[in-house]
Amino acid sequence: MGIIKSENLIFEYIRRDEEGNVEAINRAVNGVNLDIKQGDFVAILGHNGSGKSTLAKHLNAILRPTEGDLWIDGHDAKDLNKLWDIRKTAGMVFQNPDNQIIATVVEEDVGFGPENLGIPTAEIWERVDKALKSVNMLKYRKHSPNKLSGGQKQRVAIAGIVAMQPKCIVLDEPTAMLDPNGRKEVIDTITRLNREEKVTVILITHYMEEVIGADQIYVMDQGSVVMQGTPKEIFSRVWELKKYRLDVPQVTLLAEELRNSGLQLPEGILTIDELVDEICQLY
Amino acid sequence: MIRDITIGQYYPQDSVIHRLDPRTKLVGTLVYIISLFLFHNFMGYIIVTLFLAGMIHASKVPFRFMVKGLRAIIVLLMITVLFNMFLTPGEPLVQVGFIQITKEGARIAVFMSIRLVYLIIGSSMMTLTTTPNQLTDGLESLLAPLKRVKVPVHEIAMMMSIALRFIPILLEETDKIMKAQIARGADFESGNLIKKAKSLIPLLVPLFISAFRRANDLAMAMEARCYSGGEGRTKMKPLLYQMNDYRAYAIVGVYLAAIIAMGILL
Repeated sequence: MGIIKSENLIFEYIRRDEEGNVEAINRAVNGVNLDIKQGDFVAILGHNGSGKSTLAKHLNAILRPTEGDLWIDGHDAKDLNKLWDIRKTAGMVFQNPDNQIIATVVEEDVGFGPENLGIPTAEIWERVDKALKSVNMLKYRKHSPNKLSGGQKQRVAIAGIVAMQPKCIVLDEPTAMLDPNGRKEVIDTITRLNREEKVTVILITHYMEEVIGADQIYVMDQGSVVMQGTPKEIFSRVWELKKYRLDVPQVTLLAEELRNSGLQLPEGILTIDELVDEICQLY
Repeated sequence: MIRDITIGQYYPQDSVIHRLDPRTKLVGTLVYIISLFLFHNFMGYIIVTLFLAGMIHASKVPFRFMVKGLRAIIVLLMITVLFNMFLTPGEPLVQVGFIQITKEGARIAVFMSIRLVYLIIGSSMMTLTTTPNQLTDGLESLLAPLKRVKVPVHEIAMMMSIALRFIPILLEETDKIMKAQIARGADFESGNLIKKAKSLIPLLVPLFISAFRRANDLAMAMEARCYSGGEGRTKMKPLLYQMNDYRAYAIVGVYLAAIIAMGILL
């Protein structure tokens, strides 16, 4: 069994009127099956309202399944007593960096998580140093988060999770509010964490460019997983992705168009270099 | 104008004052505030001024940074000055019709405004040199005895530190909303008081909504980082008195003694 496994996971938002009668039921997650291996980089793609964020909140036990099963590192997500074990296993980074930084100094914010876990003081400092180093923010440790750029703030937020040393980090659209430079900083950071520190990464996003390096991609639409596979497999199905209102990377789209007009190119080209190589081989 | 409030903003710097234990600074500030109301003569002002100037120098925070915070209380200051100047009975200095400025009034007005200014500078000194986290740690440990009578000391301290952290963010947001509304033709400047108050509604409603949304996000982020109240938490920066703290207590003690002596002797 992988570090995260779900079977037929269902979650419903229930809206009630003033008397408490059920007014509307909105099924945000509908029968999702996940099986994520330890150490993998997994991306969950989907446009707005596809249920990807709701699913992400399950992985940290912020929301609990209405029906179906979910295990995080063997802990049953429906068991209230396992709540803190799950949160220790799976750290979560949110979309808005401003709304998840608690302290007014970078290093104190990174120390917040370990403080909550009851780690002894000396070890907190070690962990903070290490976490800040791993996101390349060590020289900003005494700064105020208000003075940092979006990408830097988000890296501080990631360090705050890393310092808790979870086996798995869930990032819920961490780049949605950032400019292209900030996006690159954040994606590079989590890629490095995954490769070097062997942390399982679950990246939720709607930017396709960010998931090219992933080991496994899930595409969600209307609460269900509609596609699953490696980036190559997913991106070779350009027209299907378009149907789910996802933007395919431009190179992939160009390659697809070239192929349609008769060029002998393979499916699922992901990078410019790859496309150049393939075209060069043709002539 | 909104951006000028410096209370609650930390000024990163490495100085003797910055390194003091927050408890020392809290007690010191409290003593300082009380001392401001313990004397009624000129010598007292000299001592307070010297003490404050010494502290500002030691803190290495630029003086203009502290003065900036005063702009926020200018209205309060004016009201205090005017009321004291016109409404204090005594020997008349200037008289126009039934309005008169008395000698005592002028004196009280000047000294009262100096006191207010010193009060603000003194307390912003504390927040400028202490991170909100340290500040709340200090408060938490000073108020810890109250836990026995079921006062939720940790929760209050946490709320305060979060409020302090969000002051600059919400100010920025207010600025942004204000500009957005002005761009759509909102008028915050003209009209009488009632009209002005009414024109604040399109500013306050979005601000409140966004503040609630932020609070919700933050609560979720804190829970996701295993925050479950004060039980079983350790500290990254536990409070420990250093040699300098004892020295600081001694200085504050000498200062207080001087002020009290001044009150009795003169």
